[in-house]
Amino acid sequence: MTQRRSAGASRRRSLARLTGRTPVERVVIAVAVVIALLWSLAPIYWMLITSFKTELEATQLDPTLWPRHFTPENYAKLVGQTLPFMSFLLNSVITAFGTALITIAFSIFSGYSLSRGAYRLRGLMGYLILIVRMLPLVVLIAPLYLLLLRVRLLNTYVGLIIGYTSFALPFGAWMMKNFIDGVPKEIEEAALVDGYTRTQILLRVVLPLVMPGIFTTAAFVFIDSWNNLLYPLTFMNTMSKQTLPAGLLLSFTGQFKTDWGGMMAASTVTTIPLMVAFFAIQRSMVTGLTAGALAGE
Amino acid sequence: MVDLRKTGHRRYFVKPGHGWSIWMMIPTVAVLVIVIGYPVVRTFLLSRLKYNFISSAPARVVGAENYLHLANDPIFWQALLNTAVYTLGSVAIAMIIGAALSLLTEGFIGRLRVVKALMLTPWAVPFIVVAFLFRYMFEERSGIVNELLLRAGLIHEHIPWLNSAMRAMPSVMLANIWTQTPFFFLIFAAAVAGIPQEVVESARMDRAKGWTMIWHIKAPFMRGAALVGGLLMVISNFNDFAKIWAMTEGGPGYATTTLVVYVYRMAFTSYDFGYSATIGVVWLVFLVVFASVYIRAMQGAPR
Repeated sequence: MTQRRSAGASRRRSLARLTGRTPVERVVIAVAVVIALLWSLAPIYWMLITSFKTELEATQLDPTLWPRHFTPENYAKLVGQTLPFMSFLLNSVITAFGTALITIAFSIFSGYSLSRGAYRLRGLMGYLILIVRMLPLVVLIAPLYLLLLRVRLLNTYVGLIIGYTSFALPFGAWMMKNFIDGVPKEIEEAALVDGYTRTQILLRVVLPLVMPGIFTTAAFVFIDSWNNLLYPLTFMNTMSKQTLPAGLLLSFTGQFKTDWGGMMAASTVTTIPLMVAFFAIQRSMVTGLTAGALAGE
Repeated sequence: MVDLRKTGHRRYFVKPGHGWSIWMMIPTVAVLVIVIGYPVVRTFLLSRLKYNFISSAPARVVGAENYLHLANDPIFWQALLNTAVYTLGSVAIAMIIGAALSLLTEGFIGRLRVVKALMLTPWAVPFIVVAFLFRYMFEERSGIVNELLLRAGLIHEHIPWLNSAMRAMPSVMLANIWTQTPFFFLIFAAAVAGIPQEVVESARMDRAKGWTMIWHIKAPFMRGAALVGGLLMVISNFNDFAKIWAMTEGGPGYATTTLVVYVYRMAFTSYDFGYSATIGVVWLVFLVVFASVYIRAMQGAPR
């Protein structure tokens, strides 16, 4: 209550500050904002607008700021036969969601253990997980490739998801630890007195309280998996098994090298799920990002 | 360890009645041993070998040969330098722009919040798309960058960007800066919002204005965010593969080859698993040093 009231008060104050500026200051701010928005949005505008141009117009020497012939043909091509775009999309969705689900399932327990556990090495374990998060994935990749080759998991969803857990799981465990740290221990003590086991406490008492944290962690893992190029490029060796980043890269460096319109249409579709994920977690983003970096006890 | 001293159960590995805290940890630890522990150990083992994955010759132990080769490999040193330039340059510039944007939009509330949301959008663009987009914009013939510069009279002919050894690195960095500016904008905006109004008000009473206000009053409140965010982004830029690979594949020549790109090339273009593992080992040693500094810094960082 008090928090809300003071937030309202500070809001009124900052509004007063904004409107209380001199006209010159306001013009300077307006110009700066316009420049900042151009910097942020012009490339995205360019992507969208190019995706509706004909192949000829997109490659011509003298680019047009608005398509002369507005055409959806680049999008039609994506569902057509020229490249297995729909497979890429499906593969990306399956592996990114799969990684997020598995990471959450494992991290709920390890996060709780890291937060509430009582054993030697718990602190050390926390640091190890933090260091592991900084590991360069590219260093792991050749041995992982050899491993997946040995167990015949190359070119499979399971193999790729196993690969993704190498960055998703340390991150997930650390995030969940931080979110569970924020739950007051008193709530659990009451449940302990009532005879609940630890597993019951975790699943029935703690989990409902950290749902926003679970959601945020899952979204971050989804985003990281969606963005990853290195693993699919190495672990998948047929075109129809590729995820969007690797599949599009392979398509647009070979056969369709200069089909900028098609490339921008594919790019637009690739961007949409990530935009949704980002705006879904916008509020908790700062907490999530910085919590992941802090080694606090 | 800290916990043990507090509870006084020094004799036990697990505090009695807390067996659950071990089995809850086991699944995660098991997976990490497979996907991280094993590859790290294998990297050390591979680095002693002359091992070409696709050649029919069997792998043989060559001891320190790979390490000697590494010390005399000019491309390795160039890749190291490129990594430093790419990482530090991108992070520093994105940080400055992000801080400026956060101060610019400080009082933006109500409907003006839309402006803030719009400034965040570049971050929601997948890396591969960023790469494609900037590849297209920097295209020599039909790219918008050359077109705009020509129209503005700043250049007089179409110039190559990504195909030029000199301009490729700055061009890739520009794309990289574009995608990560929103990250700094966001964390600085949160830091700026946390500055107590009283501090700003009393500074205003003392007639602190413009630059003084920003540098002496607000900046100290942003230092923690700069440290945490900066270190996070240094790590992520250090490991960046998607943007560079999809824009230039490390070229032209080795102009944009960072360590990640070099290791990848060694392993999956030349299939020289032994030598690529050697670079990996050197890298892991760097990392351990960096990580210990990082953890120290984090422990002292204001929350």
